Amino acid sequence: MIVKKLKIVALMFLVLSMLVACSAHSTNSDSNNKKRGASNNRELVIATTKDINDMNPHLYAGSMPAQGMVYESLVENTKDGIKPLLAESWEISKDGKVYTFHLRKGVKFHDGEPFNAEAVKKNIDAVQNNAEKHAWIKLSTKIVSCNVIDEYTVELVLSEPYYPTLLELSLTRPYVFMSPKDFTNGGTKDGVKGYHGTGPYVLTEHKVDQYATFEANPNYWGGSPKMKKITFKVLPAGETTFLALQKGEVNFVFTDDRGVDSIDIEAMNQLVDSGNYQLVKSEPMNTKMIVANSSKVDSPVSETAVREAIWYAIDRKTISKDILNGTETVANTLFSSNVPYADVDLKKRGYDLEKAKEILEKAGWTLEKGAEVRTKDGKKLAVKLYYDSNSPSQKAEAEFIQSSLKEIGVKLEIIGEESTSIANRRTTGDYDLLFNQTWGLAYDPQSTIAGFTSESAYLHTTSGIAEADELYKKIKEVTGSTDEETRKSLYADILTIVHDEAVFIPITNGRITIVAPKNVKGISFKQTQFELPFEQMDVE
Amino acid sequence: MGSYMMKRILVSIPLLLIISFLTFVFMNLSPQDPAEVVLHAQGVPKITDELMTQTKAELGLDKPFIVRYFDWLVACLQLDFGNSYVTGQPVWSLIGPAFLNTLKLTVVSSVVIIILSILLGVVCALREGTIIDQSVRGFSFFLATMPPYWLASLMIWYFAVKLDLLPTNGMDSYKSYILPVAVIAINYAGIYFRVVRSSVLNHLNEDYVLYARACGVPERKITMHILRNSLQVAVSIFCMAIPIILGSTVVIENVFAWPGLGSLSVRSILSRDFPIIQAYVLILAAAFVLFNTLSDIINAAMNPKLRKGL
Repeated sequence: MIVKKLKIVALMFLVLSMLVACSAHSTNSDSNNKKRGASNNRELVIATTKDINDMNPHLYAGSMPAQGMVYESLVENTKDGIKPLLAESWEISKDGKVYTFHLRKGVKFHDGEPFNAEAVKKNIDAVQNNAEKHAWIKLSTKIVSCNVIDEYTVELVLSEPYYPTLLELSLTRPYVFMSPKDFTNGGTKDGVKGYHGTGPYVLTEHKVDQYATFEANPNYWGGSPKMKKITFKVLPAGETTFLALQKGEVNFVFTDDRGVDSIDIEAMNQLVDSGNYQLVKSEPMNTKMIVANSSKVDSPVSETAVREAIWYAIDRKTISKDILNGTETVANTLFSSNVPYADVDLKKRGYDLEKAKEILEKAGWTLEKGAEVRTKDGKKLAVKLYYDSNSPSQKAEAEFIQSSLKEIGVKLEIIGEESTSIANRRTTGDYDLLFNQTWGLAYDPQSTIAGFTSESAYLHTTSGIAEADELYKKIKEVTGSTDEETRKSLYADILTIVHDEAVFIPITNGRITIVAPKNVKGISFKQTQFELPFEQMDVE
Repeated sequence: MGSYMMKRILVSIPLLLIISFLTFVFMNLSPQDPAEVVLHAQGVPKITDELMTQTKAELGLDKPFIVRYFDWLVACLQLDFGNSYVTGQPVWSLIGPAFLNTLKLTVVSSVVIIILSILLGVVCALREGTIIDQSVRGFSFFLATMPPYWLASLMIWYFAVKLDLLPTNGMDSYKSYILPVAVIAINYAGIYFRVVRSSVLNHLNEDYVLYARACGVPERKITMHILRNSLQVAVSIFCMAIPIILGSTVVIENVFAWPGLGSLSVRSILSRDFPIIQAYVLILAAAFVLFNTLSDIINAAMNPKLRKGL
């Protein structure tokens, strides 16, 4: 009896698996593929894992891609430098402390309110009123006042010259503008009543945790965008998103602001193979790296030789090819050479285990007969590496590096933790090595380098090196310098110091990937990596 | 009966208090400073000491643990669960709509599960040992053991993508209910119809059935009697099933992007939005206590013998 039942169950299982196998095979040749994915009605439906959230651009909870569509800044950061946006032109005073902006005329907020000097002042004052939340952006500590000169002229007065002023004004937040009518209690820090910017898209509907719809702004000063409707649909990453893309219920995905893709590379390739989708990759946007704590005296990583040896022992090619499936490229320096001021000639340290062993040997870390771990004065060469437990790729990289280091006689203990607790370790200095990434194109090098001196960022990473004082002096100088050539040479010095000291061990360069309907053209990227210029897209 | 109900309800109050306290304790066991969690949750790029102090004062986190618990408890009794760490909106405004959506899914699923279980259970019991009984049991066993997320993906792929009949996700029309309800029903009806079946089988062999048959009572009438008696067991099990389904929709909601409590709780856990997690645990606990009490009361109403126990 039991045998008979088992037979029936086994048979049913077989039939079902065959059914699945057969039909899986026939997906690609589906006849009603035509309507899937392709968008003829100038409408994109984007799958995102998070709701757009509070769109207040003077706080940090909202989705940056969505905020980038609705709000605009005074100036824009492009590949060719700073370009006008809401400000048509500007002048910088000789002492570098006063910036005068001439605003674009005839621009209106989505609620019909005029965009003028008064609105600029109100917005900047609202940001400055909540200064603590904006401590990361150095400009917020330099602004003394924002004054209205006439209806379309404002001046920004700084306490001291600060060269990245225009760069920081171009970021997606916080220095962007919303209708003063949306303010509560005359400000924005306690929440706002609406989300009216001046940007190419208007937020027309938002159902929390379901979707948000943006429609082309018919009165946009740059001309109404051709892509008429953009919907952000909240979908869990993985299978659900992939199935919805296959069916065409959503037709667009891109790398989110944590560098995570909603679907894996295999799924992306499958969609492209179906003939309905295209895959677009950006230039390198940031650098994924391992940060070494040079200031932890009792740790072997406080020695330059140990850090260099680790650098040599990482096989970046294999990581890029096998662990990351070619989505990211090998990085040999902290910033890739397309980052401003980062095209500096630095000593290349490739994958070379023999060289790594030699360096350790020279530094006195010797391997006794039969031992697996090197020692020096009786101390073992053992270090800890922390990785984000939510990132499968970081875990795989950590395991891979662990095995490489074992070969050169370094014992690497790998520990997975929540990103917040890793951030906490970075602040308190309680680590040997940890995974991190640079801030991204619009923020590199100035924001990442400013982080070298900030306790919550890389102070512990940089403070243990011999030339630390010199490094900090140069960092202070560089943001205040008004001369381009001086800046170039200062940045070159800064990058050379941290490179020679090997405190930031680069691994790969991250990119943004987009999966979009095949007939969408004009897909490009902004310098600010988290937003896409949808207004430039169109269908064929 | 009235006093029994009163007693039963009074017993559940300390239970809820204990649960609420434990939830609060566990939340506070997290090694991280709550103020830091809040700021990380709000996406603040750089956290300074002043900002931490300011946030602590704003959220009342500088008060001692017990004081915070009582503040929270009193507020909860007035249905004020605080504000979300991430968005700053009242928790109730987020959990309320999500709870309704989950409830809709749960109610529809429960109705389908109950109808299916009773139907299959009774049919299988009355046809015990036949090919119908065996194949229903075999097939349901097979389906019920499939992991729900896998079954869900398979069904979405087949019915939504391949056949293009239903939406893959969301909650847009009645069509959106079909797949998630089917997955939940397959998983639970597969278990619960066995309960009905064995209960009916037990009663089939009772003396009163034999007696009724001997007296020539029509078979249909006998079946009705058996049903009434055997459903008593089923009622309490179904009552317990509803909160279980309510809690276990997490997986289903995530696969189908259903905007309910499950999706909300997972997101809140990932972003450490403690006020929402606390409210979620409390609501689920309350649902368990409520339905447990309800099942006891219904059983007591159907069977007076049980009322003396308490």
